Amino acid sequence: MSAPISPAARARRGAPPRPSAPSRLRYTLTQLGVLALVIVCLVLVDANWARLLEAPALSLNYGGLMVQGVVQNPFSEPYSQYWTDAILLMFESLQIAWIGTVIGAIFSFPIGFLAASNVSPRGVVIVTRQILNIIRAVPELVFAIAIMLPIFGLGPLAGALAIGVGSIGTLGKLTSEAIEAVPTGPGEATRSTGAGTLQTLRWAVTPQILPEVIAFWLYRFEINIRASAILGILGAGGVGSLLAQVFERRDWERIGITLTVIIVVTVIVDQISGAVRHRVISGVPVAGAKALV
Amino acid sequence: MTTATPSRTSTARPPRPRPRLGTYIGLAAVVAITVWAGIGIEFDLRPLWTDLGRGWFIIQEFLAPNWSYIGRTIGPFIETLSIAVIATLVGCAVGLGMSLLASRVTTANPVLYRAAKLFLSVVRSLPDVGYGLLFFALVGAGSLAGILALIMFNIGIIAKLTSETIDAVDRGPLEAADSTGASALQRARFAVVPMILPNYLSYCLYVFELNIRASVVIGIVGGGGIGSSISVEFARFNYSNVSAIVVLLIVVVFAIDLLSQSLRRRLT
Repeated sequence: MSAPISPAARARRGAPPRPSAPSRLRYTLTQLGVLALVIVCLVLVDANWARLLEAPALSLNYGGLMVQGVVQNPFSEPYSQYWTDAILLMFESLQIAWIGTVIGAIFSFPIGFLAASNVSPRGVVIVTRQILNIIRAVPELVFAIAIMLPIFGLGPLAGALAIGVGSIGTLGKLTSEAIEAVPTGPGEATRSTGAGTLQTLRWAVTPQILPEVIAFWLYRFEINIRASAILGILGAGGVGSLLAQVFERRDWERIGITLTVIIVVTVIVDQISGAVRHRVISGVPVAGAKALV
Repeated sequence: MTTATPSRTSTARPPRPRPRLGTYIGLAAVVAITVWAGIGIEFDLRPLWTDLGRGWFIIQEFLAPNWSYIGRTIGPFIETLSIAVIATLVGCAVGLGMSLLASRVTTANPVLYRAAKLFLSVVRSLPDVGYGLLFFALVGAGSLAGILALIMFNIGIIAKLTSETIDAVDRGPLEAADSTGASALQRARFAVVPMILPNYLSYCLYVFELNIRASVVIGIVGGGGIGSSISVEFARFNYSNVSAIVVLLIVVVFAIDLLSQSLRRRLT
């Protein structure tokens, strides 16, 4: 490789001058700003960094104990009891997440139409959108501790309702955005046949948004599974309550078993939900579909 | 299967499409799961009528926030923000590396690629609270546990979003880099990263928004910050103090969302 050619040498050869490199001033300033912010945060955060040095050894120790719990014969006492407890409570978490998603889906679907500017009058859109914004700004946790737990008491029902209300916010927003992105052609075609507003929404808008909206519902279900674990720690049922319990007792073997159940079940449900979403969005690529055409 | 006869081309009605069997099976499955889940969690809306009185005094306290308490929450709020900034920075840096490993575009070795994908889906499957409890047990109560828990939470999200962006990247610059004999690392640095950078930075800001919310939850299980204040006041049944924190929290979350959204709009 030859050395870079100096601008003077380039000019002597008659080559056009090289464009000068673009200014990197803004880039450098942004970097310095971020750096300063991080330093300020490091000073303010008051973390006990020394514990970080002990953590690797401790985590090996605890990790070993957790693995020991997992590799024990799951059909021997008391491990069979630990596994069944964890699996049953994980199923309860799935049930909480499912009911929460169903509530969110049922309410968010009409609300999505009310919040779509190409379907609803302007005033309705503004009011509905503000309500959705407020719901989205409040963490589910707050719905749970402020409203659901006092009324419905400790238990999975309070968790499901809190998750349901929380889901309305995001699902309503996503649904309204899907409605606004709909091509106008089918709507015009439907109206030209003499269809009223409701019929147009039913036969022109809904079929176009349905695959996308179902995908949002499934995606929200995946998120809600994790959210239901959070609420469990506050006493709203599910595997979260078990997790908090075993951590309180530092029962590492049971922690290992419980975490394994959570991870395996979540990964399986995510895979199924992902496959269904993919199929709903991109249709059925099978031979049967072609025969109908 | 078609019924249209050539003599009546203009008025022939197309046959009504038969509803697919799969749709019915799917609907039946959804109804069955809903019934099973409803029975499992003892779904019942009657408490709304019968037990509203029992919960009403708590809700009333929530409706009357104790504003004088807000002054004492500034410190914990700053701690929460600091935790979120540090965790976002570390999590996003590690997440970028993981996403390069978890995309077929940048990782040619199929074993490495599959291993990275599997690792990421395991990381993602544990909820943020799970990490909170884990690190609380490991390094004790305080903001260090919160930072570590959020870092794990961030790696999962960032790596998933970014690796999907990398998968969809334009192949031209990659071929150009390959033709100059670039190594896998140089190819990633000079061909892939510049293309995904705007999206990646926008994901980082999105994760930062999530971190403020998540650090509240992690604080409740011992990760420091405003979450610890919430759990202390909650345990003392000081609902009007909890309510004041929550109102301030909503304002902070809302302000950060607005700031981050305006930054993100400029990026992409």
